[in-house]
Amino acid sequence: MRIRWSRWAPQLALTPAVAITMVAFLGSMVWTIYISLTRSRRFPDYEIDWSEWGRQYARLFNDDAWLIALKNLLILGVGSTLAIGFGFILACLIDREKRGEGFFRTVFLYPLAVSLIVTGVAWRWLFDPNLGLQAFFHSIGLTWLRFDWLASGDTAIYGIILASVWQGSGFYMALMLAGLKGINTEIWSAARLDGVSTWKFYTEIVIPMMRFTFLTCAILLSLGVVKAYDIVVAMTNGGPGQSTWVPAYFTISAYWQKSNLGYASAAAVIMLLITAAVFLPMVLLTLWQQRRSGRVAA
Amino acid sequence: MSQISVTGQTAIERATTEARPVYFPRRKKGIRPRSIAILVFLTMCAAFFCVPLYVIVVTSLKTMDQIRLGEIFSLPEVWTVQPWLTAWNDACSGINCNGLKVGFVNSLAILFPSLILSLAISSVTGYALALWNVRWAGPFMFLLFMCAFVPFQIIMIPLIVLSGMLKIYGTVWGIAIVHAVLSMPLLTLIFRNYYKDIPNEIMRAAMMDSGSFWRTFFEIILPMSGNILIVVLIMQITSIWNDFLVGLTFGGLGTQPMTVILANVVITTTGEVVYNENMAAALLTAIPPLVIYFFLGKFFVQGITAGAIKG
Repeated sequence: MRIRWSRWAPQLALTPAVAITMVAFLGSMVWTIYISLTRSRRFPDYEIDWSEWGRQYARLFNDDAWLIALKNLLILGVGSTLAIGFGFILACLIDREKRGEGFFRTVFLYPLAVSLIVTGVAWRWLFDPNLGLQAFFHSIGLTWLRFDWLASGDTAIYGIILASVWQGSGFYMALMLAGLKGINTEIWSAARLDGVSTWKFYTEIVIPMMRFTFLTCAILLSLGVVKAYDIVVAMTNGGPGQSTWVPAYFTISAYWQKSNLGYASAAAVIMLLITAAVFLPMVLLTLWQQRRSGRVAA
Repeated sequence: MSQISVTGQTAIERATTEARPVYFPRRKKGIRPRSIAILVFLTMCAAFFCVPLYVIVVTSLKTMDQIRLGEIFSLPEVWTVQPWLTAWNDACSGINCNGLKVGFVNSLAILFPSLILSLAISSVTGYALALWNVRWAGPFMFLLFMCAFVPFQIIMIPLIVLSGMLKIYGTVWGIAIVHAVLSMPLLTLIFRNYYKDIPNEIMRAAMMDSGSFWRTFFEIILPMSGNILIVVLIMQITSIWNDFLVGLTFGGLGTQPMTVILANVVITTTGEVVYNENMAAALLTAIPPLVIYFFLGKFFVQGITAGAIKG
């Protein structure tokens, strides 16, 4: 379909993008993977001792901080799915009840426009054990309610989850709302005339129809969780102790605090592998969808 | 599924034939209990979303004496803008007590070159990939698609080394260029998705007219891309302004963006936490993207969904 008119100009125009991809992305990735196999400490050391090429990885998985980070990643991932569920419920309600759609959408989405650092700072203040929400609850007689989650290593990660859900629900709501709008209104009125209950309508018709939207949301959520860094820094800075470390935090601190290139690279490679494990289904899904839509068109 | 669509069709027919005689120009529904329940629930959720904003706003306007009383929701007894002034002028980030204004200037200085660079590269690349016959466009786009999701940490260290060699590490320009590099894959794909829907006739006419790659871009394609440019622009402004990681790892002393200074101000406090100043600092950082969001929210929503689905 495209015009066959290959001259120098298009190739030339693509040079910067190709250079960036090759150097800043692919080259850099290869470099980091290579460095993770060496004994580099403060400065890159390009010699690989093949008898123990995996020593950085072996050290990594013997490091308690890294294991905590992996565990936290899992907790964050599972906990953050609340944002998808919450977003879906909000989207359904907004879609059902058209009144105030613009207002509610604006309110639910505004946290997304704000930096995660700001979000973290705000929630850090709400979680203050002496002056924050806990003091308010206690003053109105709810003394059994504890809201000092960030103060204890066991609960701090849940505080981060709450803040991320607050921040991210609007995003999933927007995606879900777009998905719901794509559902033919005829199906809706048909189901109502056929006397399908609301619950059944959503669980048996809407959710199966929106499975791709859900999958997209889940993958975006996992990618976001692997990248989670800002919110941890702003809310707990990894503490108390090392209880809220996540892989992204671990990698940055291995490079900046410990100045250990090889170790930080190994952690980054594991992050890449986790991302790839999440990402692969998305690629396959897109390819499959393309093939399917191609078949429909043909 | 087929059963539903069959019954659906009959239902629609029924609905339309029945509805025809009693047609009201605008049927006004009375508020039913279910609607009330939904609206109450949504309002409660809206309150949940608004509580943190309300609390930071009132806290930033209180005196520390009142904050120590622990009444987080109460309105200020004495309204004061002193915390805002202190946060802007004298808040301490490490040993520098020059306030957030330094960060504000740096963030702006990072924002503009980075916007120009990233929009220029990605729009031209998207145009070339969508409308010109580039043989390796498919594999290249697949590569871009992968690059768009790579975690920053895996390319961070080599980029630091590279920018050190280019003598831009720790400068505002360095941060701006890194932002442009990191956003290039996703933005290119968004532009490419937009340009590929441009009708073939327009391109054919352009070929008859001049046949020049650049003239077609500047005279025909660019004037047609107003909408996508605004969407991408808003997406980029908010993401660069809100970025923390790149600013932290590539910013030098005195070139850090506002978010990094905010984090320093808040995290590195010793002694009593001055919550009113912290909240004022947080609000100062949040205001620019919030203003954009409340005025151009439509484009903002388009941006995030474009970035999410088409990316």
